[in-house]
Amino acid sequence: MAREFDGEILACEPVMGDSTLMTVTLPRGMAGGMVAGQFVQILTRMDGSHDPLLRRPYSVYGVDPDTDTMRLLVRPYGRGSAWLAERQVGQTLDILGPLGNAFQISPRARNLLMVAGGVGAAPLVMLSEQALARGLSVTYLMGGMRAEALLAPALVPAAVEYVVATDDGSRGHRGFVTDLVPDYLSWADQIFACGPEAMFLSLRGVVMRHRVGGKPTVQVSVERGMACGLGACLGCVVETKRGMRTSCVDGPIYDMDEVVW
Amino acid sequence: MPDLAVDLAPRNPRELVLKNPVIAASGCFGYGLEYAGVMDVARLGAFVSKGITPKPRSGNPMPRITETPAGMLNAIGLQNPGIRGFVKKYPRVWETWSVPAIVNISAEAVEDYALMARILDELPGIAGIEVNISCPNIAAGGYCFGWDAGMSADVTRAVRAATTLPLIVKLSPGAMDIVGVALAVEEAGADAISLINTLVGMSIDVKRRRPVLANATGGLSGPAIKPVAVRMVYQVAGAVRIPIVGMGGIMGLDDALEFFLAGASAVQIGTAIFAQPGMLVRVIDELGAWMDKEGIASLAEIVGAAHPRRPAIVEAGQVGMVDVAEVAAG
Repeated sequence: MAREFDGEILACEPVMGDSTLMTVTLPRGMAGGMVAGQFVQILTRMDGSHDPLLRRPYSVYGVDPDTDTMRLLVRPYGRGSAWLAERQVGQTLDILGPLGNAFQISPRARNLLMVAGGVGAAPLVMLSEQALARGLSVTYLMGGMRAEALLAPALVPAAVEYVVATDDGSRGHRGFVTDLVPDYLSWADQIFACGPEAMFLSLRGVVMRHRVGGKPTVQVSVERGMACGLGACLGCVVETKRGMRTSCVDGPIYDMDEVVW
Repeated sequence: MPDLAVDLAPRNPRELVLKNPVIAASGCFGYGLEYAGVMDVARLGAFVSKGITPKPRSGNPMPRITETPAGMLNAIGLQNPGIRGFVKKYPRVWETWSVPAIVNISAEAVEDYALMARILDELPGIAGIEVNISCPNIAAGGYCFGWDAGMSADVTRAVRAATTLPLIVKLSPGAMDIVGVALAVEEAGADAISLINTLVGMSIDVKRRRPVLANATGGLSGPAIKPVAVRMVYQVAGAVRIPIVGMGGIMGLDDALEFFLAGASAVQIGTAIFAQPGMLVRVIDELGAWMDKEGIASLAEIVGAAHPRRPAIVEAGQVGMVDVAEVAAG
């Protein structure tokens, strides 16, 4: 159940060139109930100001129930995230969460394919850990502008096959991460994706062209600009085949085939 | 403990008594259930539902919201299940709650407002109706009801005839003459007036050279509109006798106090809830503490106190009758 709480920043680790992997305290017992795909909303107000007015959503990168902490991946690209990226160890954050639904691993799935773009890497790390704990095989594809923008291999669980693509070819495949997907389509039982909308459209094109009999299925984390995070304002809707659904409560995870693209 | 209670429908036998003057605003609190997990909804004076329309609406295309300096624009497009879908789902839940639930209604024809009011009239779990008149009047070529005193009165009269429920009419800041509209809806049978609804605004994405919102325009809310709202509440309070519910950019107790002093008997908090759901209860608690500290026994003592003929606080702890002109003259 979501609640408003103060989380203390315990660590800030520079990652992916310009981003920060932030460790934040959670209320006791909350971490154990959090699942991959969920997010939190963080108040990123400048002191004494009404700006930025709305909270900023962050996918949970990982949780540690033993220390009651979570990790968040923060890339400074707007006012809110720039404010957050500047926070220091020891400062507290006003957090609302956990929010949203979760990635669903099918009971029959053996082989999972992760497709991550940029900070979309976050929830798929947590999902990979959950999958490994269940004895499943995971391949993690990640794309970025250049080598430094990728998640360092040390941050991806060791048992995961980690394959990368960069726009400039400075590491791995030169091109889009979705170029790598066809090689895994016959192997994967399920695909999980998180990244920019353009990546979803490209992924959808690749999958639709190659897949057989609707398999593998694809779950995507659909981020929309949102206000409340609780399904009240209806500002973040996703058009689905069953009508308008919220990205914050009904999502952010949707079956790709359910979404009207 | 100071007395925070207020009756927003003193002329109505069905009355609308709130245990405190803090109300969650329409469109910002869903149907109450959305917030039940993150805050104590029972602490509120009341809450107003999302706007309900005669038929279900799927709302506007995305993007529907965008942040602006100290504010936000929204063009949700009244996504809601329609009056019949609404009736099946929410009143039975609210009936078990102690907090008064007020239903906000919107329509594009006078008779549709009346139709919804008739349906709501006998339902359990509903404490009152808030009429959103910031809608296009199809019969008048899409001209907004709330911009015109005559059309605002038409809607109010029709709803009044359809229900004995306490009736709050929510004014549009786009009105040519906000005081004229207020007087017209008072005359037409409104038990109370709430104001202001959002101001129509727009943001343009410079890179794309297109409006940010798919709907192009949207309603501006948040602290950016507060001075406009306080001014309108002040003006309307100087003219009508029915209670006023003030809103527009309240982000904490000090903002709420401005509205009380301008003449509001209660306040609605909207946009602030999105970022800080806890703000609602915080304002209630801080209001009680503030009144205690100031030695104010009843909220009525400060409602409208900013008006010239009311006592002004000249110095800390000293109260005297002064005219604004005297104060200005120093």
